[in-house]
Amino acid sequence: MTAFRALLRAEAAVLRRDRASLVFTFLFPLLFILIFGAMMSSVGSTESTRLGVVVLDGADRDVLDRVFAGSVAEIRHLASRAELEAAIDRRDVDFGAIWDGVTLGFAFDVRRTQDNFVFDELADGLAAQMDLALQGRSPLLASTVRIAGGEPDASWLTLVVPGILAFSVLSAGLFAIAGHLTSMKQRRLLDRFVVTPMRPTTLLAAIVVVRLVVVAVSTLMTLAVATTLFRIRYDVSWVRYVAFLISATLGTMGMGAVFTLLVRQPSSAGNLANIVSILMMFTSGIYFPVEIMPPFLRGLSRAMPLTYMADAMRYATGVMDMQDSDFWLICGAFLLLGLALLPGLARYIVRPLRR
Amino acid sequence: MAVRSIARAYIITSLRERITLFWFLAFPLLLLVLLTFVFGNVGNSVRTSFDVTLVNFDDGRDARAAAALAGAMATLAATEDGTAPLFVLHLPPVDADRSAFLVSELNELRVGRRAVVVEIPLGLSASVDAAARGAASATLAVEIHKSGGRTGSDMAASIVEHVVAGVDRSLLVQYGLFDESRTLRVERLELGAGARTFRYVDFLLPGILLMGFFTGGLFGVPGTLLFGRERRILRGYWVTPLDVPHYLAGFALGHLGLCAIQFACVWGVARFALGADVPLWRPLVLAALLFAAMTFLAIGFLVAAVARTANGGMALANVVNMPMMFLGGLFFPIGQLPGALRAVMLANPVTYLADLLRGLTGTAAPVLPVAASVGVPLAWIVVCALVAARRLQWDVSR
Repeated sequence: MTAFRALLRAEAAVLRRDRASLVFTFLFPLLFILIFGAMMSSVGSTESTRLGVVVLDGADRDVLDRVFAGSVAEIRHLASRAELEAAIDRRDVDFGAIWDGVTLGFAFDVRRTQDNFVFDELADGLAAQMDLALQGRSPLLASTVRIAGGEPDASWLTLVVPGILAFSVLSAGLFAIAGHLTSMKQRRLLDRFVVTPMRPTTLLAAIVVVRLVVVAVSTLMTLAVATTLFRIRYDVSWVRYVAFLISATLGTMGMGAVFTLLVRQPSSAGNLANIVSILMMFTSGIYFPVEIMPPFLRGLSRAMPLTYMADAMRYATGVMDMQDSDFWLICGAFLLLGLALLPGLARYIVRPLRR
Repeated sequence: MAVRSIARAYIITSLRERITLFWFLAFPLLLLVLLTFVFGNVGNSVRTSFDVTLVNFDDGRDARAAAALAGAMATLAATEDGTAPLFVLHLPPVDADRSAFLVSELNELRVGRRAVVVEIPLGLSASVDAAARGAASATLAVEIHKSGGRTGSDMAASIVEHVVAGVDRSLLVQYGLFDESRTLRVERLELGAGARTFRYVDFLLPGILLMGFFTGGLFGVPGTLLFGRERRILRGYWVTPLDVPHYLAGFALGHLGLCAIQFACVWGVARFALGADVPLWRPLVLAALLFAAMTFLAIGFLVAAVARTANGGMALANVVNMPMMFLGGLFFPIGQLPGALRAVMLANPVTYLADLLRGLTGTAAPVLPVAASVGVPLAWIVVCALVAARRLQWDVSR
């Protein structure tokens, strides 16, 4: 117990002095939230869309104004098609409509590939309403959308924040062994440890405890920034949140232990962990939903542990609903992974560098 | 001769290191392919299937609207050419209690096993019929239940809304309320690409090229210099007749050579595997790319000059990497950013270089004046060179 306490103090001190590690652990998730929150909070929404409208001579302007009113943030009337094209080019308007009394033309800047699908949808809706309005009709068959489970007003950012939290847990867990421990090995610090009566599992336990505290503080800070600055509401189930943090941190540390054994040079373990975590970040539905990926990438995402971590975190933060048993199955799998791998591999990873 | 030898050594050493190869070549290519596959499909029909439940409470003999909607849904659940249907339709078993089935399907929806549950309420067709005869507007509506926080559910619900709108149109025609011959003509006009077809990969390619140059400069330059200094490799050079200016010239030449290799690989994959059509081989575009590579080389020297140790240099590069990359509009257009982030964006040379390159290649309308797009990166080169000249140490002992 004395050894454990001493190692705990040492680990905490090492982390406190390691500015690079502190930056990665605490600042990166915050930066991600701040940058993406500011840049992408309106992705997929038409709340800020500006529409340029040209009504050619002789066309009925009233019907167009009636249909288009309130459909976008701003409607700007322009005198000619050339003016509209210039406004679209300068991004003074997002897309345009030209109405000659018979044909309704929608003009898009094809270079705005990421925005155009939203403008297209909007244009389709406006054209359908206009079509009915021109014949003095309104829809007979209406539909109402109701939300069953999960966050009703989940925006892109609402979904991304728990994904970023899950990624922080993954990074912290992987690099605790594949980065921190291998660095101790490389700097010959382990040489000193192993000549003491300390057991390898005691050192690992101390690393686990310190990482758990760090992960908890870092994810809570990120969550607090997201809720305060971007007014995102999370209905956090704290029991599940804590259970997920513990199990996922242990599980990813177990994965980090495997990486350490797969490479010859200790420093390569950190590189391998870095590459794997980046690959997972892009294929696990953290920044863009799995559903918009092509089938082979969707298949790949199902093989990524981070996909399940992100889903579990979304469930724990109330963004997405899932079967409670599935959540506990994910936590159990990660816990089992950590408990099976860490003590089992401890003696192989906590050993000095061969000279 | 010495300059060429240093350049060759720089290129060979970089290409021998697997980690450098990953970040310098594999990562940009991976990102290019991945983002093209993901976002290149946005708005188009992605081959996917949604589990959709239809509970029809309005299935009497005269239920015209409900029957039409159920028929339209069934059409989307039919298989074509052996491919998976858009909807995998779940219907209540015959003689089952539909209310109980609806409750259980809503539970399935809640936990993600259904994308959407469509409920046709009893009396919907009568309500539509009454509205068609001018009695009043329809009082009942089709209920589309979707799950919050799931993109798949949003997508499926949007498709069902389109199906409902289509059925509505056919009902209006059937009731004689809509003259199909007077249907509004709708046109789609595409601006900004001239005569060529424009795809997402065309927008992405300049950004990926700049990202590759940027990470190469930011990590490659301080990495080589600082690790070379710490491992006393640089000291080996100083005992030869080689002086710092010649070493620098060789180093810069090697770095630009590496950028050229990277450019050729990324362009080749984008052009021949992904079908990108970006006019990169124009003299002005190539000059802009060279200018970008030199700017990032200078930033790399700045990092090497500011950091005391190699690990410190890498940490510093990591810290500035993400904000500069994402606040430079490399992958996503930067919209209306708030105060502090906008200041970072405007001070960021990546913003100007991306705008310049996209403007020259016609992949986006430039939003910044050309003078700024050249002036700001140029100012960065000058400042970085001055700081590096004053602070960069070429040996551990000096």
